[in-house]
Amino acid sequence: MAPSPDPVLRASGLHKTYRGGMLSRGGAVRAVAGVDLELRAGETLGIVGESGCGKSTLARMLVGLERPDQGEVTFRGRPFFTRGGVPRDIRRRVQMVFQDPLTSLNPRMTVHDIVAEPLRVHRLSPNARAMRERVGELLTLVGLSPDRMGRFPYEFSGGQRQRIGIARALATEPDVIVCDEPVSALDMSVQAQVVNLFAELQRELGVALVFIAHDLAVVRHVSHRVGVMYLGRLAELGPAAEVYGAPAHPYTMALLSAAPVPKPGLRGRSRIMLAGDPPSPVAPPPGCRFHTRCWKATDRCGEVEPALEAVGEHFAACHYATR
Amino acid sequence: MSEPPVLEIRDLRVTFTAHGREIPAVRGVDLTIERGQTLALLGESGSGKSVTAKAVMGLLDQPNADVRCATARLGGRDLLAMSEEERRALRGSEMTLVFQDALSALNPVLSIGHQIGELYRVHRGLSRKEARARSIEMLSLVGIPAADKRIDDYPHQFSGGMRQRILVAMAVALEPDLIIADEPTTALDVTVQAQILELIDRLRRELGTAVLLITHDLGVAAEVSDRVAVMYAGRIVESGEVAELYERPGHPYTEALLAAIPDLDSPASSLRAIPGAPPNPASVPPGCSFAPRCERASELCTTTRPALLEIGSGRYAACHHSEEMLDGALA
Ligand SMILES: Nc1ncnc2c1ncn2[C@@H]1O[C@H](COP(=O)(O)OP(=O)(O)OP(=O)(O)O)[C@@H](O)[C@H]1O
Ligand SMILES: Nc1ncnc2c1ncn2[C@@H]1O[C@H](COP(=O)(O)OP(=O)(O)OP(=O)(O)O)[C@@H](O)[C@H]1O
Ligand code: SF4
Ligand code: SF4
Ligand SMILES: [Mg+2]
Ligand SMILES: [Mg+2]
Repeated sequence: MAPSPDPVLRASGLHKTYRGGMLSRGGAVRAVAGVDLELRAGETLGIVGESGCGKSTLARMLVGLERPDQGEVTFRGRPFFTRGGVPRDIRRRVQMVFQDPLTSLNPRMTVHDIVAEPLRVHRLSPNARAMRERVGELLTLVGLSPDRMGRFPYEFSGGQRQRIGIARALATEPDVIVCDEPVSALDMSVQAQVVNLFAELQRELGVALVFIAHDLAVVRHVSHRVGVMYLGRLAELGPAAEVYGAPAHPYTMALLSAAPVPKPGLRGRSRIMLAGDPPSPVAPPPGCRFHTRCWKATDRCGEVEPALEAVGEHFAACHYATR
Repeated sequence: MSEPPVLEIRDLRVTFTAHGREIPAVRGVDLTIERGQTLALLGESGSGKSVTAKAVMGLLDQPNADVRCATARLGGRDLLAMSEEERRALRGSEMTLVFQDALSALNPVLSIGHQIGELYRVHRGLSRKEARARSIEMLSLVGIPAADKRIDDYPHQFSGGMRQRILVAMAVALEPDLIIADEPTTALDVTVQAQILELIDRLRRELGTAVLLITHDLGVAAEVSDRVAVMYAGRIVESGEVAELYERPGHPYTEALLAAIPDLDSPASSLRAIPGAPPNPASVPPGCSFAPRCERASELCTTTRPALLEIGSGRYAACHHSEEMLDGALA
């Protein structure tokens, strides 16, 4: 199914700051500092970025698990964060799949009970028998045998556990699934199984996906559009082919050139080596957040923060974006 | 006469006993690394990479681990004939290990300068002042800015990437003959990962250090190694020169792994996944360990375990059907 242009999910001006956390040593961690994005029905939006740039924080706000300090998330135009909390039907329509399939599944619950939990919470099955049948259907959908629904998570391999998490997310027939590093904890030989499963489910069910990962190749593989995050903000956002084929932001260029490629023949290729480490989100640099590591930076970059602006088909936040 | 290899290991076996059950984690591994060479040890989680590294370092002295080995030589010297005392002296000076987890490998209550300096004082007998000067030099070498100002800082005051670089500095400080790096970049961002890999590679070129790089990332292995050894269920199933092995794999597992990685340049619609999951180390199937997941498996594969045999010059594979695979690739 081709992605349709109406957004199912829209985030505008999202900010989230954590105060007094362990890592912040007294300061406040500006985990997400102004993110706008739209997710269209049936599309996959990939999000990449370094560890700590705010991907998981963004993901939690996009499913309503965390309330932004500023900004808003809407589902088909309706706001998430009402006085009474996130409306039940929105929670049902927007689900999440977590990174670590073992810790996100309750070890004392059987697979049946894990997958049935959302059915129970949202009262989607009239009786126990119907619930059992529906759990069986969901397990079959993700490629697990329904006769194993009486087992416990530890009896399954990593890839199978991730399928259980996906089955649970699918139980409420969501329109949106936000996947936070869904394949990072998996063995390399199993990762492709799960990546293919997402693609299939999207084709069959038309569900829109936000797919967060740090593996650039995996994100490119699954996404229609890709957003690149740096220190709590989007540096670049656009169609996957554009972002990867013609990156406009220096940070995207550096990421792409630093990614190891499994082709020994390409070893001598020239690379953009960034200086230093990513700065701390407790005190992000003034002006452009990337200026401390950017080889194109000028004085202006240290003073004026660039906005995310259109560059051809996509968007980049850089004063000197490559057009 | 040619120089002996820096590391030569024959038939390494490690068996753990846990809950009354034997877990043969490493089942007969051979490793040879020449001076100035990088060998990448590839394999998925639980295949026995870290256990191999620790056994080589002699760090598996624990009651529930049984370590056996036919040959173990470091630069021609017989490690098996040495006393524990003598081996301990080699550790940290002639062979060093960079652990995956940089924070837990550093002592949180001692300054960085103290921890690096100690190496020079203990192993080289340098004075406090000399040791400090050398430590600052080492920190600058691994790219810590303003090293002379940061030398008295504690581990938690550095970022993850910097701590990893400090560990690399400690591993190379005494110019060892062999560095074993166990997933040194897994926890790092690609931009910082590239810096660390470049650093290890520079030391190899400049000092002739032999490197055993443990990783599960086929991209990382392709970037820096000369040779690659692929582990599956406690055994090496294929090894060879990196470009050849990637171009013409001689073992179905290697072939399947290479086919399963998404390509950054040409996204295909569906990835070629390997069905099933790796075996539980406590109950590996008889015959070839990969047989339940292998497209090419025949009757013979389920009954007889294939030995690691030479399939070309400097290339080894443990598969009954390697030759057909390679012929197929040529045709
Ligand atoms: N509950 C919290 N309390 C305090 N700080 C937090 C909390 N959650 C996240 N942070 C901080 O916010 C920043 C962004 O974290 P987040 O987990 O969103 O990053 P990420 O991009 O998902 O990283 P990773 O790739 O490592 O998962 C980090 O500096 C993190 O330490
Ligand atoms: N101390 C121990 N006691 C019992 N079993 C152990 C012990 N250490 C390792 N093992 C087992 O040995 C096997 C090999 O473990 P090892 O740590 O070498 O895997 P690895 O290839 O390094 O994996 P990873 O990529 O996850 O680091 C695993 O099944 C592990 O559970
Ligand atoms: S605005 Fe300046 S510092 Fe920021 S990415 Fe662009 S050139 Fe680099
Ligand atoms: S020996 Fe048989 S089962 Fe094992 S890898 Fe070769 S073809 Fe496959
Ligand atoms: Mg995260
Ligand atoms: Mg390991």
